[in-house]
Amino acid sequence: MVDEIIPKYWYNIVPDLPEPLPPPRDPPDDERSKIDLLRSILPKEVLRQQFTVERYVKIPEEVLSKYLLIGRPTPLIRAKGLEDKLNTPARIYFKYEGATPTGSHKINTALAQAYFAKEEGIAHIVTETGAGQWGTAVALAASLYKMRSTIFMVRVSLEQKPMRKTLMNLYGGEVFASPSQLTEYGKKILEMNPNHPGSLGIAMSESVEYSLRNGYRYLVGSVLDLVVLHQSVIGQEAMKQLELEGVEPDTLIGCVGGGSNFSGFAFPFIGNNVGKEYIAVASKEIPKFSLGEYKYDYPDSAGILPMIKMITLGKDYVPPSIYAGGLRYHGVAPSLSLLIKRGKVRWREYSEAEVFDAAKLMIESQGLVPAPETAHAIASVIEEARNAKKSGDRKTIVFNFSGHGLLDLTNYESMMKRLRE
Amino acid sequence: MRELVAYDTIGYPTDEKFLAFMKGIVEVGASAIEVGLPPAYAKYDGPVIRRSYRAVNTRKLEMGSVLKELRHYVDVPIVVLSYVEEHLANVKKFLEEIYSYEVDGVLFPDLLIDFPNKVEEIATITKEVGLKNVIFVTPTVPDSFIVTTSKLTDLFLYYGMRPTTGVDIPIGIERLVRRIRELVDKKIIVGFGLSDENDIRLALSAGADGIAIGTTFIQALETGGVEEALAKGRKLMGLLNEY
Repeated sequence: MVDEIIPKYWYNIVPDLPEPLPPPRDPPDDERSKIDLLRSILPKEVLRQQFTVERYVKIPEEVLSKYLLIGRPTPLIRAKGLEDKLNTPARIYFKYEGATPTGSHKINTALAQAYFAKEEGIAHIVTETGAGQWGTAVALAASLYKMRSTIFMVRVSLEQKPMRKTLMNLYGGEVFASPSQLTEYGKKILEMNPNHPGSLGIAMSESVEYSLRNGYRYLVGSVLDLVVLHQSVIGQEAMKQLELEGVEPDTLIGCVGGGSNFSGFAFPFIGNNVGKEYIAVASKEIPKFSLGEYKYDYPDSAGILPMIKMITLGKDYVPPSIYAGGLRYHGVAPSLSLLIKRGKVRWREYSEAEVFDAAKLMIESQGLVPAPETAHAIASVIEEARNAKKSGDRKTIVFNFSGHGLLDLTNYESMMKRLRE
Repeated sequence: MRELVAYDTIGYPTDEKFLAFMKGIVEVGASAIEVGLPPAYAKYDGPVIRRSYRAVNTRKLEMGSVLKELRHYVDVPIVVLSYVEEHLANVKKFLEEIYSYEVDGVLFPDLLIDFPNKVEEIATITKEVGLKNVIFVTPTVPDSFIVTTSKLTDLFLYYGMRPTTGVDIPIGIERLVRRIRELVDKKIIVGFGLSDENDIRLALSAGADGIAIGTTFIQALETGGVEEALAKGRKLMGLLNEY
């Protein structure tokens, strides 16, 4: 059964996009090519996957065995409790990525990238993390491949979530708050503002700089095509699982930080013309869809990486500190940006209060605590299910439950205090 | 036998060396010549070609006279390479101008990528003016677009396999070439970061009809002058003749 469901290939949507995907590029006035610099930043095979565009890429046996080890395929669960609570004629299913040991989908690419790094003889990998899901995934992947890992965690998140740091430490990762004194870029930011809360863009720049300086390698957690490629295990499994259940999906929903869980979940459906509508959900507090611009911008704040064409709030965007809902990254993966711009994928944004209500409804009806990020997708699921009730539509909604929220309880505590009192 | 398409930036390093190299490389066996016009923003060019653009930009260049003189030297197709972004306000005027210099075709590297909705329109104007289209595609172009736009190309389809020129990003060359070989029945010339002999062999074995070489020639022109660049050309022709 497992063999039937776990895909043997990763799926890349680029050959099936409605338009050419603008490639990463160097800015006009560059002294040294940032594209060239990628060769010192990313593991070689990871870089090769980024630029060798083909529809299906074989998953190495070794990575498949690690996918099994962490419990893939993840469950596809019918949210009967939520359906009943909403009294909707719609059927609701979710792909439960919270089932992996690190509690989110992030491990799907961390394992692949760590494997390629290990094969290349890399002994130490570096990355950034916001909420800590990605940092945890990298720390575990590094541990499974017996490498060292260093994680730059956005300062405000680290203060709010000491447990995530503990978990990363347990896996053997070392964790620093970003902005830090360990990099030139971190020092520069701290000079301007010693109390800077940090941002993913800054932490990303610090990780890349730290990795370059020490001759380590950097693992990338979202946005780039290669990450989206690795995450396609989610959608391919879900398609197979729905098929085995005899269910045809109508609406597919996922939340969007950098876009990797949404894309990994939805792209296999989109590329194979399965499903009728696709909804990408972000936060009203970090309004990338409503206020972002579709243009070439840097993935990281220091501008060490090449420019990519994406929907972006600007590389120097700093999210509101008080906000606890996640999805704070300033940009959206180029492939997903293109699909949104062309109207193939629709978008929604919800406020923190709406997201909190959605999480509560999920917790009360299904018993699962969603990551605050995932709760954005759930808010949209609830809206769709309520609309279905009004119109009597018996459609099937499938969403990606990107992670659990058991290490985000301080976020919920903060939301309860601010939003309910 | 497979083909060599040779690139140099117009008038680089000097008008005389540019012309001597182009004349020589055709004698060596190049089947087409690509001439780059310095743009404001060389979006898909690496540091070496960007450097050549800057150098040419700092002196006054008579584009028309250089191209006309080149025409006297060579009888293979001359393709002008320019970013279409610069000519959007009046593409026809630009095309008419270069046509008047007796070149054969034009290649806009950013046409498909940044202006996918204008491809047919601009390809049509190009033909009306009397020039040939050389359509440029990359691995990030979807299959359906490769199929439709390759029908518009005249001399050959230019496949830029890496994101930028002259930078040796690791890629799966055979897989990239095979993917589009199945889709296209036109001549496919592959380029971008192709200097490694093994890379070239992989591309040719996978079905490429020829290679486009630029950065390698420019580096040779810079270090050893025309002779060294032509020596590189002879070596490459030797390799191409094995196929």
